Amino acid sequence: MSERMLPEDAARALAEVDRRQRQVIALAAIPDWYWWAVGALMVVLAVGVDVRTGASIAIVVPVFVVGMLATTGTVVLGAFRRALPRNDLLVPQGIFAILGFVGLTVGVTLAVAFTLRAAGAPYPATSGCALGAIVMGTGGRWLSRYLTRVMLRNGPGGGR
Amino acid sequence: MSLDGFDELIHAPTRLAIVSLLAASEWADFKFIRDSVELSDSALSKQLSALTDAGYVEISKSFVGKRPRTSARLTRTGRLAFERHVNALQQIVARAGVTILPD
Repeated sequence: MSERMLPEDAARALAEVDRRQRQVIALAAIPDWYWWAVGALMVVLAVGVDVRTGASIAIVVPVFVVGMLATTGTVVLGAFRRALPRNDLLVPQGIFAILGFVGLTVGVTLAVAFTLRAAGAPYPATSGCALGAIVMGTGGRWLSRYLTRVMLRNGPGGGR
Repeated sequence: MSLDGFDELIHAPTRLAIVSLLAASEWADFKFIRDSVELSDSALSKQLSALTDAGYVEISKSFVGKRPRTSARLTRTGRLAFERHVNALQQIVARAGVTILPD
């Protein structure tokens, strides 16, 4: 059949391959709300650290743990119930981007918190985590889109 | 124009859609494939049987809780055949200088 195949038909077939590939990769996209939810949970935990009473710790730690399990479980189960995108689509740029993002968020959070504490400012952990949450919320959106692009590029046909 | 790797079995439109979904996945749920390519259960089963008979696809059945789940994955042979088929398509396009634009 390839002897008779028109280039336009081949192009249409490749476009179909690309469309189906995007469909699977879209399943792995982390929703924007997830990053803001994790950021908010970080702030809740930090409030407990700053207040430093037994009651505050007893409240914020379970809220943080249950919140993380619920949000992460919702995202993971929602994404991987239908199909699991190939693991090798992310490697290695995607892994480096994730590690860089985590490093940036933690770095900003700790740097602000320790600087404020050294300056004697009130609620240093909460302030640091609030800034870290903003970095996570805005950066997470960017990271999700970047990871999608990386996966498309590494997919069958190279994301033409 | 004759090209190595062009695969008649994969190139049929419905099967190309199915194999393309599977090529980007470790595995895919039967319902996800069915809804994505807009086929009935029996029509999808027929297409998957053809691909399984060719050694391109593996079907597995399991339980998630009490619910049965059927999933499909490309075999190594299937993945290789798909890559070769995509290469053949790309060569046809490249020789003609056609531009591919996403939908």
